[in-house]
Amino acid sequence: MLFKIAFRNILRNGRRSAMTLLAIAVGSIAVVLFGEFVAFIRAGLETNAVQNVGHLTVFRTGYFDYGAGNPAAFGIEGYENVIRLIKSDPEVGPTLNVVTPTVSLSGIAGNFDIDASKTFLGAGYVPADREQMRRWDEHGVSRHRANEDPALRDDDETIGVVGVGLARVLGLCAPLKIPNCPPRPVTPTPVTVAASADLPSLSDEDIASGNHGDAPRLDLLTATASGAPNVMSLHVARAEPQSARELDENVVIMHFALAQKLLYGRGERQAVGIIVQLHRTEDLARVRARLAALFAAHHLDLEIRDFADREPFYRQAVGMFSAIFLFIALIMGVIVLFTVVNTMGMSVVERTNEIGTARAMGLQRAGVRRLFVLEGTLLGAFGASVGVLLGQVIAVLFNHTGAMWTPPGQAAPSPLEVLTSGMQPLLIGAWLLLIVIATLAAVVPANRAARLKVVDALRHV
Amino acid sequence: MIAKGSVVLVALAATLVRGGAFTDHPPSSADIVAAADNARNPSQPFRVSLALIEYRNGQPHDATNLAVHSKLDPNTHQYRNIVRYVAPPRDLGKLVLLNASSMWFYDPASKASIRISAQQRLIGQASDGDVLTINLAHDYAARLIGKESVQDADKQARSAWHLDLTASTSDATYSRLETWIEEETYQPIKSKFYSDSGRLLKLAYYRRYETQLGGARPMEIIIVDAVDAHLVTKITYSDFRAEDVKDEWFQREYLPRFTER
Amino acid sequence: MTTLTETAGDERTTASESPVVRFREVGKVYDDEGLRVTAIRSVTFDIPKKRFAMIVGPSGSGKTTLLNLIGCIDTPTSGRLEVCGQDIGTLGDRALTDFRSRSIAFVFQNFNLLPVLTAYENVEYPLLLLGMRASERRDQTMAMLESVGLTDKRDHRPNQLSGGQKQRVAIARALVKKPAVVLADEPTANLDSHTGAEIIALMRQVQEQHAVSFVFSTHDPQLISHADDTFVIRDGELTDRGSQERN
Repeated sequence: MLFKIAFRNILRNGRRSAMTLLAIAVGSIAVVLFGEFVAFIRAGLETNAVQNVGHLTVFRTGYFDYGAGNPAAFGIEGYENVIRLIKSDPEVGPTLNVVTPTVSLSGIAGNFDIDASKTFLGAGYVPADREQMRRWDEHGVSRHRANEDPALRDDDETIGVVGVGLARVLGLCAPLKIPNCPPRPVTPTPVTVAASADLPSLSDEDIASGNHGDAPRLDLLTATASGAPNVMSLHVARAEPQSARELDENVVIMHFALAQKLLYGRGERQAVGIIVQLHRTEDLARVRARLAALFAAHHLDLEIRDFADREPFYRQAVGMFSAIFLFIALIMGVIVLFTVVNTMGMSVVERTNEIGTARAMGLQRAGVRRLFVLEGTLLGAFGASVGVLLGQVIAVLFNHTGAMWTPPGQAAPSPLEVLTSGMQPLLIGAWLLLIVIATLAAVVPANRAARLKVVDALRHV
Repeated sequence: MIAKGSVVLVALAATLVRGGAFTDHPPSSADIVAAADNARNPSQPFRVSLALIEYRNGQPHDATNLAVHSKLDPNTHQYRNIVRYVAPPRDLGKLVLLNASSMWFYDPASKASIRISAQQRLIGQASDGDVLTINLAHDYAARLIGKESVQDADKQARSAWHLDLTASTSDATYSRLETWIEEETYQPIKSKFYSDSGRLLKLAYYRRYETQLGGARPMEIIIVDAVDAHLVTKITYSDFRAEDVKDEWFQREYLPRFTER
Repeated sequence: MTTLTETAGDERTTASESPVVRFREVGKVYDDEGLRVTAIRSVTFDIPKKRFAMIVGPSGSGKTTLLNLIGCIDTPTSGRLEVCGQDIGTLGDRALTDFRSRSIAFVFQNFNLLPVLTAYENVEYPLLLLGMRASERRDQTMAMLESVGLTDKRDHRPNQLSGGQKQRVAIARALVKKPAVVLADEPTANLDSHTGAEIIALMRQVQEQHAVSFVFSTHDPQLISHADDTFVIRDGELTDRGSQERN
């Protein structure tokens, strides 16, 4: 009966109830849409990170904090055995998509034909593995990358990719067809001493040979683990824009074998890291724990870092978007709260006489309170239901508009969407939250109704 | 600054031969290297002045003058060197300390000494220093290829022993060397320095031999960069002198006081 | 001034039954925006059971206040008031409300039906407050609707009923729970005289049928002519009373 009375009272003032429902629905839609947008961002960032550095990377203990200055000192001995160990573990094995070794190094890249040289940060990958890693797409947000040409090749270890900024500094704009390259400034060479004509030069056989088809050549110089100077040729297949300017001006991506030769020279060929990419991100914590136990059991001096450790931008970006989402949800909640308080307040005033009548007939104060609170709950339930459903419909429609954007941390535009699948926690959470807010909002007016003096209420017109 | 700032002298990869002490039958590689090392190392501590000129595309580009003080460490059989910048004026007073394999740079203006990593010695004058400080007997195993005719720095054909040396310790800077040593005098004519990857890094010519401090030594060394093919460095020695080189000069903590000499 | 006819009043109650309402020096004072208003000075009288009692007097005399006190929707500030033997001054709001739900019913000048409920549901409402079982509720409600002759209108909302029909529903609602006292404040004021007469007749009928005490507050001379007991109030004091015996 209580339910019946509450329900019919809502229908009584149709327009006001409709406006209240609309406010609640709009609040729900905003929370749902923005929540799904944040989920999309998160999925995109995660996908980006997992495609680049996998889910987990195994390093020698201490590398993560100190290794950048001297990667060779933190190499993983017998890395092939470690990889075999990981792959053959019965618990971890089925979760794996790719397990692959990598090398990180730094040195000087030179295009000495034009006297250009630049420090570089290098990363070496096994091309086939890297290609497989870049196809990872658990959340279905990376379909647009599926057809990218990988550039690195298993059969030619001298082929590599550089950042656009690096290519520009080293004068590779023309051969790599990079647009918008201003002409290089020419620095005049100061003449300080009289020229000397009697200088020997290199004979032809001593100079490293030129190009690989159309690919321009760079010399990469590094110091090996033992401090010896080492140099190898890299044929640049293309320049790829990187997400951060610092990377764009420094990064060289090369074949794993080339990186190994550069970094270790005549010493034992090791790996600096072992990348582990899983099928599903939700297995991450479990696999991490299992690997740590495995390494401890085999007395291996290794540490494990996840993609959020390796790309702190991920956590920062997700954190920022989550904070904005909470802020928006809070504002929506406050708006819904005030709307319902206002609506119920007006309702109470209008029904003062009825309240007096019911009280006179023997309805307890608690009964009055319950009635109005229930009306608030019903408003919340209808508004939230409509809103959540409508929000989901709008989300699906939006995804079909084909909008594009360039998200922070990415170099090229990609489709702008909101994540509509797997969002049940958000939808249910938003629905429940708004119902709770509407219920709470009704409490104060309900209390006021309950505490009305019967005599005064009956006198009310 | 650093790339240009540190040339280390030490005895030269040039070997100092004390007169023709060998007979006509082909000497063993060990003999040649031993003779080279013997000749290379003055028996007493010494100092020498260097004039360095860098040429780009045949044109002089940069000039530096250095004073080097050198002494053999009897424990490690490695030379320790302290290098002082004399010219150009902006570098006057700067110091480089080279002990076996570690290199330290000191700037009197900031009174700070910093270690130069292997990374920072890849190009520039520091890389030339590695050529000049090479210690054949200590770090390399030699194999005699045979007798050949080789062109020297003045483009004259000379008859020489061709040796192939491979690194025998992990500290050796170069994975492999080739060197041509004159048949009669055992004076080095030319050397080639290879990286771990097998690529040629540098080419060095030795000429204008004079007798200094008890042996024939090249007064001019020309280093041709094989990676940066436009770059040639000419190093001219002068004012060789024996000197009482004190051990404390090679302490890093002593560097600030050294500049006040 | 007030006690002359007291004993006479007592004598007029039906011999074996005690009065349904007892006023003993009851006073009511309330605060109206800082101003103290004395609605009732000090009244002492009894209302006999199972009769038509009417409180009459000019506007502002305090008759509505008296009705409110009897109806237990207000409590005296002095004196002692017993309704159905219950000293209502000692009861808290919860107990008072509970008491009302069982023993007190109202019929209002403006009918005061709940607009969102049908005639049937309006009549049923007090039974829900009592927690009665559904089948019993249905029986009682239908019986009540029948006795006021509105069975065919039971699914109509109040806005679909005439004034007379609405008051009949109100009467049904009042009686459905078999209360001890029914309070009616100007029940015929919003009805034309013909309808008013019908309503009065209906009330008399149900009063006799269910042996309920009716207490009215009214100006309506037609209604007053039907009174069994009359109490005259003026300026918060009982100035006169009278009784009529009916067969």
